[in-house]
Amino acid sequence: MTTATTLKLNLGPQHPSTHGVLRLILELDGEKILSCEPDIGYLHRGMEKMAEGLTYIQYLPTVDRIDYLAGCFYSELLCRTVEQALGAELSEKVKIIRVTLLELNRIASHLLWVGAFLMDLGALSPFFYAMREREMILRYFEKLTGQRMMYNYFVFGGVRKDIDYLEDIEEIINVLTKKIDDYEKIITDNPIFTARTIGKGILEPELAFNNSITGVNLRASGINYDLRKTDRLYEGFEFEPVILYEKDSWARYKARILELRESLKIVEQGISRLKAVGKLDQKLINPLTIKLPEGEYYSEIEAPRGLASIYIMSKGEDKPYRLKWRTGSYYAVNLLRRLLVGEYLNDAIAIAGSLDIILPEVDK
Amino acid sequence: MNIEDIKNIVSECDIEDNKICVKSRIYDVIKCLKNEYSFKILKSITAIDLGDEIELLYKLFSVEDEEEALLSIKVKAEAESVVDLFDSARADENEIYDMFGIQFIGNEDLKRLYMPENWEGFPLRKDYIQDDTRLAWNDDCNNA
Repeated sequence: MTTATTLKLNLGPQHPSTHGVLRLILELDGEKILSCEPDIGYLHRGMEKMAEGLTYIQYLPTVDRIDYLAGCFYSELLCRTVEQALGAELSEKVKIIRVTLLELNRIASHLLWVGAFLMDLGALSPFFYAMREREMILRYFEKLTGQRMMYNYFVFGGVRKDIDYLEDIEEIINVLTKKIDDYEKIITDNPIFTARTIGKGILEPELAFNNSITGVNLRASGINYDLRKTDRLYEGFEFEPVILYEKDSWARYKARILELRESLKIVEQGISRLKAVGKLDQKLINPLTIKLPEGEYYSEIEAPRGLASIYIMSKGEDKPYRLKWRTGSYYAVNLLRRLLVGEYLNDAIAIAGSLDIILPEVDK
Repeated sequence: MNIEDIKNIVSECDIEDNKICVKSRIYDVIKCLKNEYSFKILKSITAIDLGDEIELLYKLFSVEDEEEALLSIKVKAEAESVVDLFDSARADENEIYDMFGIQFIGNEDLKRLYMPENWEGFPLRKDYIQDDTRLAWNDDCNNA
């Protein structure tokens, strides 16, 4: 409720620190936030409606756009669902290629987050450092797939072409391992950074459950839930889910840094296994004849911003009858209603930033 | 999860594959699952237009047991809101209201989300008008 002493502040939709077009309507008492009302929908492209009018292969190139920082994950979801519905088995090499690229994509996505989050807090240099390292990964993807962000590289039954330029990935691993140490040196214990993040935006596990928060944000609240542990694609890869117990913005930062290291480990394993398996041997599904048998299909994956899942209902036609995406950011935006209440205005951006919200994923 | 507990709440309850279909009182069923079986996460609510009615799918998840429960109910125009059990339901229900026009009884915050506030019709319904004159690409049918 608005009274004479409170102020309604319209944050966004166009503002450098709102990460895209998010609009927050804040009610302030002095500098204290009394309520927060997110307003979304500025980037809605009708991904779900579009699916009902397109065949599966026509729809495949568009799904990278759901999350333009981690497009691989959504391609993988759609491919996986179609493959499972048609009973197609992936060859060993395809699985390894997919895991390697997914994790590289996750690293690129987390790197951008590290930079953008620090920029939210007013530190400009880490943004340039993180973008510099991310550029190496984007260059590699461009070399391999022809695109920097929307790869459209995974296809039904396999990948578009064999993986190549493995020495570039090795170079990325070498450089990044050192650079992450550098990030930690300038960021992690920096007194200004810790003053703005430690104890801010505490996300209790109960609140996280209630708001359907998954992924890194949930693991930074001390809950051991990482879908990759049960994902069949990741079989044979060794890594440890990152669990931190601090629950605040700092923990969410640290968890992503540690996750970068874990992802590097997976990529490294991927490289050494790729070298051992030889040539690509895959059986692609003819995209022009894809018709999913009547029924309902569901798959999920651990995306950089939490659990991402797809639901397809098919009536036996070449187009889905209904297709639904579940994305992590959508629920993180909803969480802001609770998380920002009682905090100060100058922490609002820092807390919202720490959740890693990306707007195309929210609006779909 | 014991199916008998659900049967105590709702007399009519079928199981298709892994889906528990109920005809009414979805709120009480979800409340029971949340409180008795620690299904603390509502992963998503999915709506599907089946023509004459709309199916709502509730996907619940328990972190402790790593177990999933899938509930289904078919509704016409109104449904029970679970927003006081799960905060995240606010987001899901609002989206379904925007795209399918389902009124959730008990959720006070339903508003247009992706569509403009004065928009008529619900895009994900199968009977959504395709030759809507407000859409630019339908200029041809406007002129015809």
